[in-house]
Amino acid sequence: MNGAVQDLVIVGRDAPVWLAACVMQSALGPAGLRVTVVELPDALGAADVYATLPALEPLHARLRVEEARLISATRGAFTLGKRFQDTTGQAAAFFHAYGSTGARIDNTEFLPNWIKARHYGLPVAFEDFCLTAAAATHGRMLLPDAEIERHGFTDYGYHLPAIPYAAWLRQLALHRGVVRHESQELEILMTPGGSDIAGVRLDDGRRVLGDFFIDATGAGSLLLAGRLAVARESWRDSFPADRILVAHAPPVSSQPIYADVRAGENGWLALHPSQACTHVIHSFSSETPNHRAIENAERLARLELQGVEIRAHDPGRRLLAWQRNCVAIGEAACTFDPIHGVDLQAVQLGLVHLLPLFPVDSDYAVERDEYNKNLQSAFERIRDFQSAHYVLNRYRGAFWERARLTPVSSDLLRRVGVFRARGEVVHYEDESFSIDDWQALMLGHGVLPETWDPAVDRTPPDLLKSELRRILGFIRRKVEEQRSHAEYLQSASAASAAPHRERRVD
Amino acid sequence: MAHSPLHIVIVGGGSAGWMCAAACAQVLHPDRYRLTLVESDDIGTVGVGEATLPALRDFNTLLRIDEAQFMRETQATFKLGIEFRNWDRPGEHYVHPFGSFGQLWGGVEFQHHWMRARQRGLNPAPLEEYSCAVRACRRNSFDFPDLKSTRSTVYGYAYHFDAGLYAQFLRRWAIARGVKRIEGQVMDVALNGQSGDITGLTLKSGATIQGDFFVDASGFRSLLLGDKLGSPWEDWTHWLPCDRALAVPCERSADFTPFTRSIAQRAGWIWRIPLQHRTGNGHVFASRLISEDEACATLLGQLDGQAMGEPKLLRFRAGRRVETWKRNCVGIGLASGFLEPLESTSLFLIQQGIQDMLRLLPTPEARGIDERLAGEFNRRTDALYERIRDFLILHYVANRRHGEPLWDHVRSYALPESLQHKLELFASRGHVPYFKDGFFSRDSWLAVLFGQGLMPRAYDRLADFIPLEDLDAQLRVLHTRVATHVDDMPSHADVIARYCSETEPLRQVAMT
Repeated sequence: MNGAVQDLVIVGRDAPVWLAACVMQSALGPAGLRVTVVELPDALGAADVYATLPALEPLHARLRVEEARLISATRGAFTLGKRFQDTTGQAAAFFHAYGSTGARIDNTEFLPNWIKARHYGLPVAFEDFCLTAAAATHGRMLLPDAEIERHGFTDYGYHLPAIPYAAWLRQLALHRGVVRHESQELEILMTPGGSDIAGVRLDDGRRVLGDFFIDATGAGSLLLAGRLAVARESWRDSFPADRILVAHAPPVSSQPIYADVRAGENGWLALHPSQACTHVIHSFSSETPNHRAIENAERLARLELQGVEIRAHDPGRRLLAWQRNCVAIGEAACTFDPIHGVDLQAVQLGLVHLLPLFPVDSDYAVERDEYNKNLQSAFERIRDFQSAHYVLNRYRGAFWERARLTPVSSDLLRRVGVFRARGEVVHYEDESFSIDDWQALMLGHGVLPETWDPAVDRTPPDLLKSELRRILGFIRRKVEEQRSHAEYLQSASAASAAPHRERRVD
Repeated sequence: MAHSPLHIVIVGGGSAGWMCAAACAQVLHPDRYRLTLVESDDIGTVGVGEATLPALRDFNTLLRIDEAQFMRETQATFKLGIEFRNWDRPGEHYVHPFGSFGQLWGGVEFQHHWMRARQRGLNPAPLEEYSCAVRACRRNSFDFPDLKSTRSTVYGYAYHFDAGLYAQFLRRWAIARGVKRIEGQVMDVALNGQSGDITGLTLKSGATIQGDFFVDASGFRSLLLGDKLGSPWEDWTHWLPCDRALAVPCERSADFTPFTRSIAQRAGWIWRIPLQHRTGNGHVFASRLISEDEACATLLGQLDGQAMGEPKLLRFRAGRRVETWKRNCVGIGLASGFLEPLESTSLFLIQQGIQDMLRLLPTPEARGIDERLAGEFNRRTDALYERIRDFLILHYVANRRHGEPLWDHVRSYALPESLQHKLELFASRGHVPYFKDGFFSRDSWLAVLFGQGLMPRAYDRLADFIPLEDLDAQLRVLHTRVATHVDDMPSHADVIARYCSETEPLRQVAMT
């Protein structure tokens, strides 16, 4: 282990810096890695929320996080997906649920069966065959039992208020042995040769030195861009919005168990319920003046908004996420459009790809190349998923008209083309979104495939009909068996009051 | 169902043609698709002893083929992997198993635990002794994998069989399910003057066959895709210089292995494929480095049984058609490309091509060629060919056979960038590629990388979480479990004799 990294310094703020600290400490602490965090002042407000994807839960499990405690401490909530509705009156609402739709019919996949039935006049929407979406619509939490596991796949994410989540991760990291320094600002120190980062000087003059650095400083990317001068590729032209409004509103009595995303003529607005409040995001273009944007947001939310803040937003990717002895994670590496809430997913991707490539000696050029290749691919897959949401939209208004005309990658063009032609999802390496997600997105935006997998034509029409009925019946029955979101949150809260027991995982 | 059925015409009756016909007959609705296969009794098929990959079991399952019957009729044996002899350098050998090495411990791949144990002086056993499949190969043992519990390490299996008999087996199967077989030699292929689509075939007898969609399974000749439609050929012989094979069966020997053997030679390599009734052998060689006579003598000199007939010569070039689906024609099998059978990928490429084709096939309502679907088929095929190509090249480049022109040449050339990078990652830290579709799997890469004598400089530090004394104990327990697991397995010869016997079929074994 000659020359292996011994001192990792993570610089940044908010949940990304502390998630990084927790992950690096628990995975590589046993290998002798010392993890130090230099924490910058937070950039969060009460309105900020992490609307997470299902992948966060297994990462938490690896950190031996007790979910009930987390939800209770952060006053977070569960989410089974996102519901997209159109207030411009053009398109039907659809659900992007975190679960599979339908079940195999006569030993063939569900989607081509549905497409066929649809072409023959079936009036039932694709999402109505999704158990997860049905549970969400009925305000029920969905926990799989053996019957549901045989039927299909279901999962969930969270709405985590950002300030308490960051605080909670900080506490966890410190408890596990991470060292913390605070500083209002930084001076970045270079090695004598001048090519690598040597450390940072804090505002009180102390120096924190290390041999490897994680830049979690957000879109400013203080180390990777600020000091190592890594250039950025702008995705500005691919997305119609460059402003984000955040606000909060008091929690409503019966909190939905999903994110409610509403398209208006000048952008979209999302409501993310947590136990603390309803977190509101409105994404729009700077062509709309701020005071108009606030009016639009209030009209779309139909709630009285508090703590309104408007921020500029500029999506794009650093050409290298790892340069010299510094890896940028989260927004320091890539800033995504706010649709689908992928910020924490991006942080997580940065970390889980880093672990198996973390330097084993002083020469890690090949690991760095691999990491940069993987992250570019993973980030572009996410961007394409978001991009599809805009180019496929059927909403009214100049914002959406422009969105339909934004340029797309050749990969996405192929993906939509093949789906439109056959209902087949082209699925590449490094995807964050599953085939189920892509199906929900493209069908939701009204891409009805022109043909279907010929394998389903052998199924007799009567069997197809009875199977479709059976699936609907199953979903009705299982939804009724589930507890309401409120009941589930209460039980989580009760469980978290029990004596502390760290969750065991292998 | 108002539209008239779409007529699919398959040209060629080897394994590619009949596998395609059988799959179409199973999957497609007979009122919507009409199936015809044209083959000529005058044209031989390449069919020799064929070694396969575990995926072939999925194909047989799709057709709901009874395994014991299929094995009886094709003289099949079980295959747990491939043994490579002398590939690194003379005297060295390793097995690429259809199974894992060790287990994931704490989410960390086994090779890191094993390398750590070596570097920390725990003296673990050789890596292969932590693979149940390799140990079973070493002892000529076989048992069906237990899908419900794992006694030691997980594994799968494939088959060796007579490809000619397999084609006949599928021919009977397909004809019984409505495929129309036409005997005859294709003399001419007619194109639509406007679209450039194939409209029909003229046979030597003068008979014509009209069709909507054509499958070129005509082998190296590539009558439709290559000859008529001019799909360009991409040549890979600079990476894979072998261009000839001599094949000959010999009498079955006492050594009845549950694996294929591949033995490196001065200017190529020799395969050995055990079947029930005989052993298939062949010498793959580079014709510019060795004469046919010498190659033949080398082959015959290494048989472990009496040769049955004269060696048959096959000529080929490594490479593939750039557009495997062009106009209304898809190439399946050798008509679409060729990669030497070093990793038994021939039938896998056929199977994968058929499966992708079936999903993307034109329909009776939408007969015209949809470029979106053809393009997707070609994208998938390209990716598959390139991955297999890289994996094959790996066997050649990582050798220490100095002073032999073939082996010196393959060590010296510039690798595809994709492969070069993988080798460096492995050398640095034992990192192996991962593909979503698992082809080839991490364990396959591991087997060949370690087998070719490469040893990483370091292990992944994620493995450090296990205290050394616990690691030592865990390795010992696993080693013992692999050994006792395989000790309890019957011999491959016994399993074949009982399972394939018509009088006393060995059904229960498969169920335990």
